[in-house]
Amino acid sequence: MSEIEDPRAIRVMVVDDHPMWRNAVERDLRQAGLTVVGVASTGREALARFPAARPDVLLLDLQIPSPDGIEVTAEVVRQDPSIRILVLSASGESADVLAAVKAGATGYLVKSASREDLLEAVRRVADGIPVFTPGLAGLVLGEFEGPSHGGASAPPEARLTARETEILRMVATGMAYRQIAERLVLSHRTVQNHVQSILGKLRMHNRVELTRYAIERGIGDA
Amino acid sequence: MSASLPTARAIEDQLFAALGIVRVVLLLNAVGWNIHRRDNFQHPEAAVACVAVMVLWTFVANVSYGRPRLRTAQLVVVDLALAVVLMLVTPWVKGEGYRATVPGFWVAGALLAAALRFGWRGGFMAGVVLAVADIVPREELRQSDVGNAFLLILAGTIVGYLCASLQTMAAEREAAQREATAAAERARLARAVHDGVLQVLALVQRRGRELGGDLGELGALAGEQEDRLRRLIRAQDSLSVDADTFDLATALTGLEELPGVTVSTPGHPVEMGAATALEVVAAVRACLDNVRLHVGEDAPAWVLLQDRQDRVEVSVRDDGPGIAPGRLEIAAAEGRLGVSGSIRGRIRDLGGTAEVATGTFGTEWRFAVPRERPDTAYGRRHE
Repeated sequence: MSEIEDPRAIRVMVVDDHPMWRNAVERDLRQAGLTVVGVASTGREALARFPAARPDVLLLDLQIPSPDGIEVTAEVVRQDPSIRILVLSASGESADVLAAVKAGATGYLVKSASREDLLEAVRRVADGIPVFTPGLAGLVLGEFEGPSHGGASAPPEARLTARETEILRMVATGMAYRQIAERLVLSHRTVQNHVQSILGKLRMHNRVELTRYAIERGIGDA
Repeated sequence: MSASLPTARAIEDQLFAALGIVRVVLLLNAVGWNIHRRDNFQHPEAAVACVAVMVLWTFVANVSYGRPRLRTAQLVVVDLALAVVLMLVTPWVKGEGYRATVPGFWVAGALLAAALRFGWRGGFMAGVVLAVADIVPREELRQSDVGNAFLLILAGTIVGYLCASLQTMAAEREAAQREATAAAERARLARAVHDGVLQVLALVQRRGRELGGDLGELGALAGEQEDRLRRLIRAQDSLSVDADTFDLATALTGLEELPGVTVSTPGHPVEMGAATALEVVAAVRACLDNVRLHVGEDAPAWVLLQDRQDRVEVSVRDDGPGIAPGRLEIAAAEGRLGVSGSIRGRIRDLGGTAEVATGTFGTEWRFAVPRERPDTAYGRRHE
């Protein structure tokens, strides 16, 4: 390969235990002008190589040999809060994907997504723009509206505003940010900001839940 | 034998350990009585020998029964035989007209051992043998002797029965635990296998799409199978346990069978009365039929289910050109109830509301349906 690395190119690290998949994704990323700064096939390898690789984006399969994608997400975000993580999963939206997003992932894509969708998602995530599938948006809505969270008991800063709920609902019915902006007569940028804020609240929501749990169990008194 | 299972074996060990203590107490009791009645013996040296045998055998029995390997039928038979012999020699040692046998209650050790080892049958048989051995040598039979014999048989049978059921229960619990562990492990393995299959299907689909031609077709097939498998896994994840209620989330997810349809749910079961849930699904189906009719056979459509606790909300959206303003009203006025009839009517019958929005974003139906659940129903009556 005789590529000249563009210093401004997005630095990506690919973590997946299927060599064929990893190679295909690596090739796609390089051809599109992105820099692959590292690969790993297990959670352990990923955590060992991450500090030296210094990627902008971690392309992470959730189902990898231990520690799994969720644990890797949490640990990597702890080490470098500015890291952007795009989670890939073969099994579709599930509790795993939601857990990874709560742990700090910025986006999620089904593995069967096309090459173009993947590249688009990597670029967005690198810019800090959340990449949701409709299915994931439905799960996140469920998280804020669900029976275990009786919205009112959460502190206001961890609750979604009416506008945010509306936007999330639109994402969950398959609308692109551009379409949402047009329908709500907002700028594209504003819609993205709302979605980022939803993601932030989801994580705070998670922390609120954990704190409440701790207090209920009498661990939080100290 | 049920004692082959570890927990049943552990219970037997524990019971025999307890019996060891009981035997020592019974021995002390027997020795004490024999010392107390030392003047009653016709052959005192034989009485001393009998007591010596009891002391020795109590020691041997406790050591032997303490080892599961030695707990054989032979040991139980020897145990019983010794008790029987000691009872049978009593008339000679004590002379006729005795009341208590030389071993006295000490024979209960052999009785309980037989019951612990061989269940109620063992206990019953040992009880009969000991009762006969107690009664036969006596010249005159008093009521208390018969009562004692009866108690021996009864006690042996009951203790044997209890011990066996304790072991059976432990064995059943262990089997159930093992079954649950195995089921969890099977589920975990299935998940790993499914995931592997999904990975490969996704890869084939992706490469096929890039290469086109025959391989593209292969890729499309892989994509279809991937979709189906994923749907199956999701349906399995949210299997409802309660038969009276119906999980609307699973029912709506089933609509992903239709080409182009994506369904988003809250990730937990949304339980509702079956009749209501089926009506909601039928209304959503009517919306999707409309999409097929007006937008296209494979046109993408999205279904979103929201669980708002006192009600459920369902949105159905397509990316089509939208409905021309006033068209629905004109159709209704002309008596053609098609869309508004089957959709609005169904939802209104459930006490809910149906709204439709249309524009450059396509067409979006939105239903809100109150939840028929007794525990949350009170809030709605006042609305």
